[in-house]
Amino acid sequence: MARFEPVLLRGIGQLDLTDIENYKQLGGFAALEKALREMTPEAVQGEVSASNLRGRGGAGFPTGKKWSFLPKDGRPRYLVCNCDEAEPGTFKDHLLLEQAPFQIIEGLLISAYAINAAQIFMYIRGEFLEGFRIFKRALDAARLQGYLGKRILGTDFSMDIVVHRGAGAYICGEETAMLESIEGKRGEPRLKPPFPANAGLYGMPTVVNNVETVSCVPHIIERGAQWFASIGPEKCPGPKIISVSGHVVRPGNYEVPMGIPARELIEEYAGGLFPGRRLKAIQPGGGSSAAIFEEDLDTGIDFDSLAAKRTMLGSGGFVVMDDTTCMVRASQTLTRFFEHESCGQCTPCREGGQWVARMVSRLEAGEGNESDLRVLSTINDTITGTNLCPLGDSIMPFLSSVLRRFPEEFADHVREAGCPFRVGVAASMAS
Amino acid sequence: MSKQPARRNLTLTIDGRQVTVPEGTLVVEAARQAGFNIPVYCYHPKMDPAGLCRICLVEIEKIPKLQIACNTQVADGMVVHTMSPRVAEGRRGVLEFLLLNHPLDCPICDKGGECDLQDFTMSYGPGASRLTEPKLHKPKAVDLGPTIVLDEERCILCRRCTRFDDEIAQERNLVVNERGHHSLIATADGSDYRSYFSGNTTEICPVGALTSKAYRFRSRPWDLSHADSVCTQCSVGCNYRIDSRFGRIMRTFTRENTAVDDGWICDRGRYTFNYLYEPSRLRQPLIKRDGEHQPATFDEAIAIAAERLRTAARKGSVGIIGGGRLSDEEAFALQQFAREVLGTDNIDHRVGLQKYASPSRHEARLEDIDDASLIVIFGAITPEQAPILDLRLRRAVARRHAKLLFVGPYKPDLPVPCRHVEYTPGAIAELMEQLADVVHHGREERGEGFVAEIAQELADAERIIAVHNGRDPGAIEALEKLMDRLHDYDHPVGILVVGATGNARGAEAAGCVPNLGPGYAELGRSGMTAAEMFAAAADGKLDALYIAGANPALTFPDGELVRRALQRVPFLAVADQVLTETAAYADVVLAAASFAEKSGHVTNLEGRQQAFAQAIEPPVHVGSDLRILAAFAQTLGKEWAIPDDADALFAQLRHVQRAARPRSPKDPLPRPRVDETSLSSADQVDATHQRFTIIPVPRLYAGGGASAHDPGIAAMRPAPFATFHPDDAARIGVVHGDMVRLQGRGGSIDVEVHVGPQAPTGVALVLADMPQAPVNRLLDASGFGSATAIKVRSVAAAPPETIEVTA
Repeated sequence: MARFEPVLLRGIGQLDLTDIENYKQLGGFAALEKALREMTPEAVQGEVSASNLRGRGGAGFPTGKKWSFLPKDGRPRYLVCNCDEAEPGTFKDHLLLEQAPFQIIEGLLISAYAINAAQIFMYIRGEFLEGFRIFKRALDAARLQGYLGKRILGTDFSMDIVVHRGAGAYICGEETAMLESIEGKRGEPRLKPPFPANAGLYGMPTVVNNVETVSCVPHIIERGAQWFASIGPEKCPGPKIISVSGHVVRPGNYEVPMGIPARELIEEYAGGLFPGRRLKAIQPGGGSSAAIFEEDLDTGIDFDSLAAKRTMLGSGGFVVMDDTTCMVRASQTLTRFFEHESCGQCTPCREGGQWVARMVSRLEAGEGNESDLRVLSTINDTITGTNLCPLGDSIMPFLSSVLRRFPEEFADHVREAGCPFRVGVAASMAS
Repeated sequence: MSKQPARRNLTLTIDGRQVTVPEGTLVVEAARQAGFNIPVYCYHPKMDPAGLCRICLVEIEKIPKLQIACNTQVADGMVVHTMSPRVAEGRRGVLEFLLLNHPLDCPICDKGGECDLQDFTMSYGPGASRLTEPKLHKPKAVDLGPTIVLDEERCILCRRCTRFDDEIAQERNLVVNERGHHSLIATADGSDYRSYFSGNTTEICPVGALTSKAYRFRSRPWDLSHADSVCTQCSVGCNYRIDSRFGRIMRTFTRENTAVDDGWICDRGRYTFNYLYEPSRLRQPLIKRDGEHQPATFDEAIAIAAERLRTAARKGSVGIIGGGRLSDEEAFALQQFAREVLGTDNIDHRVGLQKYASPSRHEARLEDIDDASLIVIFGAITPEQAPILDLRLRRAVARRHAKLLFVGPYKPDLPVPCRHVEYTPGAIAELMEQLADVVHHGREERGEGFVAEIAQELADAERIIAVHNGRDPGAIEALEKLMDRLHDYDHPVGILVVGATGNARGAEAAGCVPNLGPGYAELGRSGMTAAEMFAAAADGKLDALYIAGANPALTFPDGELVRRALQRVPFLAVADQVLTETAAYADVVLAAASFAEKSGHVTNLEGRQQAFAQAIEPPVHVGSDLRILAAFAQTLGKEWAIPDDADALFAQLRHVQRAARPRSPKDPLPRPRVDETSLSSADQVDATHQRFTIIPVPRLYAGGGASAHDPGIAAMRPAPFATFHPDDAARIGVVHGDMVRLQGRGGSIDVEVHVGPQAPTGVALVLADMPQAPVNRLLDASGFGSATAIKVRSVAAAPPETIEVTA
């Protein structure tokens, strides 16, 4: 089967795309030239709307529509780029930041032009220190060549990018927590409404777009909405980077057309499972997503197909677990993560998350009881859907899905007062 | 002042009942109006919705997920269920989470009996916890500051306290530290939580996490008796409730009056009651025999004082001072005592720098601050002198972006942006006249410069509120003329006067001034002002003085004069609650009742007359000022003048006050007479670089009366200090923490050095009203003074040293 011709990852691995000349050699900044010289902001916005580009940060909201929500009331508008990628299993923005910074810059400039933004803010995850340095150097290079600053490319368009580094909180990837963080406050999600489109950064109309989303924009402008919309399913088209990790032969970032079957991604791109292993569960959309199983392998990897399977594409963190994986242990890792990262504002997330993590940890340690299993199988209703941001809703999906699918594995942990997989691990390590 | 346009009404159904509410109303409020109480923790009607606790979940038809009632606005035709099985399930879930690690120490918790966690758990919660592991622990009995103790385990992290500190007080001192279930309430920098409004957090805390040191472990709520009272610690007149147990005050509690206090009280008001139980509280009258105060009975003290006052009165040589700390009825009785019993017009409540306690026209209400687009403060230091009024200013500036202009000799510490116009007291009148002139001449001719700039701001403002301290008659007259001008140009304007004492305005309106009777009735004659009485007494020209609820020795600007007067006057009787410096001079001291021990009315700074009820009985030999004055009248055979009946006196007072004239620019209220000696002038002080001009600065917890003797206030009371500009401090070789002696015309005081840019160069900002370092030793009758600063102790050096820094 022919590999998909990469769009976003084009040239990566062959050329040093942190060098602006190499980026230009690949056709970089042509889209910006086209947008600024030949198109009105409305035309750019129309093209992006027509492409059906959906946000790559996780929610999959149509980007053109998001842009159109900005009120036309004369207040300054801000464009914020979300590069706080911290979802367990997702590492695509990390790659784009370090290997294709000019694609991000170009995408941001075109987007800012389209929405008539006054300023761009780039929020980079604190741990991405190298990416931050690369991006800063890229900004300097772009500025030297007139792609940034006053009167870009000699047009009337002036724009600059302010870089803000995070300080290590997962929650700051939530867009309103990110806005709080940029404003110098404690990074905690805001109560909505009002939504950022109306009262975002410093109370002004604000668009928050993901790194991969803005990276798509130059290609849409250069090659047209038609081309973009023709890739993958009609309602969520385009190229998509999937971060494949876990029990596959070649984990890594793969750019695929939206809607590719999970089986094809694993077998054609990631080299399949290890010999002799059987697939047990997949998290198709990062640590927040519910698992899919063997029978779901023909499901298309796109927003709508996965939603139909009661899970999500999310940020595209594709975690493959084979039959050596203990589902209790995997749940423990994830619930502990969310317990640790809860900002503490909402009761169900703060208290429920902590309780669930304690129960799952106890089960894994062999100290669980029947009551824990009963609580775990019913607690989803009081935790999920009752919080002011999606973090609280991320605690239960994986746990609930594997508890439903492998109830006996959880029961075994209680009955055997320990993790049956531990024995196997110990034995294999001894051999 | 005009109100916002009316909002559209919407009709929705809540639990089968139709409710019509204005657009924008939150479901939680609409339900409340319909008679359904949706449980809330984080939601507080005075603060922005936070949506944190999730206890207020309701079911709204056509919306799949449960919604929080605290941040959902009503919509037309909305159908809300607040008691459906799904809602009950959601609430039970939230309560189970909140109680997971809650210590359930209700039997020893101060909140027990008035705790929302207890109450909602009883109403909606699960019977038992499904938690099978040990509860998580957090710090207990955390000393948060001078007023508050925090139990982190009881805390449900609703953040009402941190949001109060942010949104209402605008001080941003309380924060959440750590994250998730490790979250802790703390101060941002780990220092003490110090705020004039800290006590409010203990009230809005829905659980027993924040407890006040004053009330901790002292009572159960069901054992308390309640009396609706009014705070008299300053002139705002916040409504509060006095809670007592077995005749002893245990705590005070807000009693919301939106128009006055908006539901808050300050810590001075809240915590000043334990002085009543200190040994220094006067529990019986004292008579000076052989130079020493000896205990006496009430009747004895009255008999002696009545006789001496009558003798002096027959010679027309008696003076009456006080009223500002009495109730309206008592202030009225005091003027009756002067005019009807003793036959003198020598009566004055003004024992500080304040001359007027009310505006003669353009009277404003506190609520008018809420609509103001420009607030101009002349000299009044509102955070210190009227803290709850200051909360309104903070809200107007921070939340509605009203402009704040402070005109005065230095810029006070304010948590909100404020433009400071530096003007010395005497020069303010000049500025006002210039402004009036520029406003008068119209926009075109306003020209350039600083005055023009302010005039422009005044002209651009839609609604203007001026707040002044009633001190500088010339400036006030000019200000009122300026307001007339703006009023002529159709700007809504209003004036508030911050009272020097809690009931200054009530005393003024009751006729405790030498030229006006009750209800501002012009008498056409005048007795002596307080300043004139002191001058006469100091010269041996006054035979007797009666002082009720006033401490001029500390508060009268010319400390040297007043102390000489009090020493020299042949007979001095003082009625007070504690033995103040003034009372210490007295031949007869009458033990007076506190506000908690009597009932009556007080008039706040906006002229609102508010009733307060008696909470506890006074000690046996302690009488209210009314009882004391009635006893005098009776002894002197004029019991008709002062019936010992607050209701009867109030009826009389109301009758005469109704006749008070309307307040319009054409028909202003008559003014209390101001004596020449206390008129200020800017160029009186000739400060050289060796000497400092003294400007007294007020602080909330300063004072020589109740607050000086209250153990609850002690931890908050500042030590006497003087703030110098950094350049001045460097020049005279002092650093923050050093002690300096300020040597002035009437003596010297030792104060700690503070260094701050708010002090203008050549000026020492000296803490006023401190009995151990009275700033009035340095001042003259108009409040001006200068002093030489002598370093007496270095903060670093071990041995005390004296260095002359003056030439």
